[in-house]
Amino acid sequence: MIQNHSDLSTRTFVDVHAIQEELDQVRWGLHADGGGSEAAQHAAAEARASVLNLIAVVGNEPELGAISSVLDRLSITNPSRTLILLAQHTRAADKLEAQVSAQERTESGHRVTTERVILHAHGEPARHLASLAAPLLIPDLPVILWWPGRPQFDSSLFDDLCELADRLVVDTDEGFDDADLARLLKVARRKNAQASIGDLNWARLIAWRHVAAQFFDMPGMLARLAQIHGVSIFHGSDGSMAQARLLGGWIRSRMATVGIDVPIEFRPDDSLEHGVRRFLIYTGGAEGAARFSMIRHRGGRLSTHIRLGDQDVAERTVRLESRATEELLSIELTLPGHDVLFEQALDAALR
Amino acid sequence: MAQAVTTPLSQNILRDGLILPRTPDPAAMVIFGASGDLTARKLMPALYNLALNRYLPSGFSVIGVADTALTEDEFRAHMEQAVQKFSRTQPVDRAVWQSLAEGISYVRMPFDDESGYGRLAAELDRLDRERGTNGNRVFYLATAPQFFSVIIDRLGSSGIARAGEGWKRVVVEKPFGNDLKSAQALNQAIHSVFTEQQIFRIDHYLGKETVQNVLVFRFANGIFEPIWNRRYVDHVQITVAEDIGIERRGKYYETAGALRDIFQNHLLQLLSIAAMEAPPNFDADSVRDEKVKVLKSIHPIDVGKDVVRGQYGPGWVGGQQAPGYRQELNVSPTSNTETFVAVRLKIDNWRWAETPFYLRTGKRLPSRASEIAIQFKNPPHLPFAKTAVEELTPNWLVMRIQPHEGASLKIAAKIPGPVMRLRTVNMDFFYGSSFMVESPDAYERLVLDCMLGDATLFAREDEVERAWGLVDRIEAGWASQPPPSFPNYAAGTWGPSEADALIEPDGRRWRRP
Repeated sequence: MIQNHSDLSTRTFVDVHAIQEELDQVRWGLHADGGGSEAAQHAAAEARASVLNLIAVVGNEPELGAISSVLDRLSITNPSRTLILLAQHTRAADKLEAQVSAQERTESGHRVTTERVILHAHGEPARHLASLAAPLLIPDLPVILWWPGRPQFDSSLFDDLCELADRLVVDTDEGFDDADLARLLKVARRKNAQASIGDLNWARLIAWRHVAAQFFDMPGMLARLAQIHGVSIFHGSDGSMAQARLLGGWIRSRMATVGIDVPIEFRPDDSLEHGVRRFLIYTGGAEGAARFSMIRHRGGRLSTHIRLGDQDVAERTVRLESRATEELLSIELTLPGHDVLFEQALDAALR
Repeated sequence: MAQAVTTPLSQNILRDGLILPRTPDPAAMVIFGASGDLTARKLMPALYNLALNRYLPSGFSVIGVADTALTEDEFRAHMEQAVQKFSRTQPVDRAVWQSLAEGISYVRMPFDDESGYGRLAAELDRLDRERGTNGNRVFYLATAPQFFSVIIDRLGSSGIARAGEGWKRVVVEKPFGNDLKSAQALNQAIHSVFTEQQIFRIDHYLGKETVQNVLVFRFANGIFEPIWNRRYVDHVQITVAEDIGIERRGKYYETAGALRDIFQNHLLQLLSIAAMEAPPNFDADSVRDEKVKVLKSIHPIDVGKDVVRGQYGPGWVGGQQAPGYRQELNVSPTSNTETFVAVRLKIDNWRWAETPFYLRTGKRLPSRASEIAIQFKNPPHLPFAKTAVEELTPNWLVMRIQPHEGASLKIAAKIPGPVMRLRTVNMDFFYGSSFMVESPDAYERLVLDCMLGDATLFAREDEVERAWGLVDRIEAGWASQPPPSFPNYAAGTWGPSEADALIEPDGRRWRRP
């Protein structure tokens, strides 16, 4: 796999028209002086694929490098225009800086070009960055707002950006407590909410949900799902429970659709520091009790077992991908509209 | 506390929101020809990747059947090596492989040995008992075609194909026959044991993401369908070009030729999906009904006028000297097998009447390319002074299957300046630039579809027979002609000059893909 990454252009600006002009230039290689780098001219020689606008909100300067790296890797699968907002309200002097760049990547013979604008605001302009972001978006493409860390739910910037966005993506595994989860649900369900909610933590649970569902695809097992009488979720010992709560919320909310209230037991498991370790589903059934268990192992694997009475009837090992942030983001970026299942799981997790 | 549910669940509600509507039922896949190339290169890596991505059910089992002297452990080791060598995902996850390998067993037997089928039945029974495969079986014929009938016959006479509970399906690799008569005979032989719903005739081309994307391109974009007809389309060119020769397949190729190897299946599949009407939905019969209608509507071919054949002689391809076909391994030095075919077709229906479709395929052409190219009609009049309609390059819409999967639209644009001068510009969409993710191998998709019982991407009996009918007509036409003067094109060129003579009198030219 050959990968090439070259900056086509990097310039610093302070007003929106100058930024727009430079974006046009890096997108199409149309430098007013007829110049522009060879790479920019090359990129302009053909139509370009873009699939979305992505706005990432960064809390402080040290985070900027890490977020930029994630976005670099994300751009391979999601050619996009990216705006990175670094809003620092606390600094006294009002200041606004913007940096425009375009990156070209070649991988497996395909070329992808993405534009990036870093908007760095201090003081009052930091509260109004949404007004600067809006005119910089590519028309007619979805706008995704990625807010790493815990969003500033009470800030006007959060509200303004949610107005602008088609989807808000967070990661509830980054220190979200119950109050944060409740705020997130409120955002998802507020009247006329345009932005649907995506959660990287929810994307991490796809494999668990998939394997749990597969148990009940097996012949004769669906009847047992109707006789579910409990679930145990063992989670890492670091005190972070958002992932376990969400998994529990998922199965509770699914079973609630057929009128079954499932008691969920959460237990810490010292063998693992973080995340869900074991997910056990207990059911009744004509031939006695059954336990469906999924156990996460180091090395990205999940072993699954079905125990009917005192007999193990099916065992297997499958992959449990430890997905990088950009992969999780990529999953969330392709989901259309409101994720009703996620919202129901979140709701059930809070009950 | 959980409340009792008086009525059973009608569906698995935990599956809501997940991509796959369901997991296949636990099943045993019996691979005939398990020590062969296809199993090692395609089937086992596909099964491993399906297992890796959690698409296979618990209890899924594989029985390899071949006449090669191997112990069960040796067979598993051979399969592991194959996965390590040919899997698209690397490195191979040992724990996942082990989990899959626990369900792999091996039965050594000649394919016509009745007692061998007794041992196979016993092994299947064991899997039902121990791994819960519940009588569900996929019989995968990954053998040379001459064994298809005998295997089907023995599966029927031994009772394996019908025994007990569960579903039974059979996958048949191409070539499915070598003419209409043999295809009908094979269909008849298979139907004596399996119903059409149980038969999955594989053409791996249909499992390719980009072939499926042609259907999405046509039927999920409202802007193309209104102009996808005789009123706006001048003609269509479908090309499957290979820059390689016949590799080490001389023995097979001598009996097949380009007509059977590519035209009968890949080219006609591409024709069908390019020309078909929109199906009411994407289920197996709806899609295949529309594809068959296209084949039924093909105007009778005048072989003398509408078909050109060729065979490559020595030449240069990609800077490398290439031998002529007659110099290839296991090829007769006087062979008249065609390595190039070009065909002009017309489709007698309201959408395409009088719109020619030019199809071509060949070996040792200058580059590898599979594409469907549509040339639109020129505008009837240009309002720009001193610019003749004839000066314009026509609008082309090209859907590339491989390589560089994607689409291109060629449009006219004004050259900047005080004078109205027009120039053609290509707008390219590279599938990989928008979805730069690794696509699953075609076999993964097709094996999974078979296990789910979805035959949409498999050829149906009438589809196969229609295609062979067309091939037979061409063969009969050739038989009545004097022997061709082969070779008639040099390796590294776009086929014989007769191919140009096929299209140029119509006022058209072959594209350079």
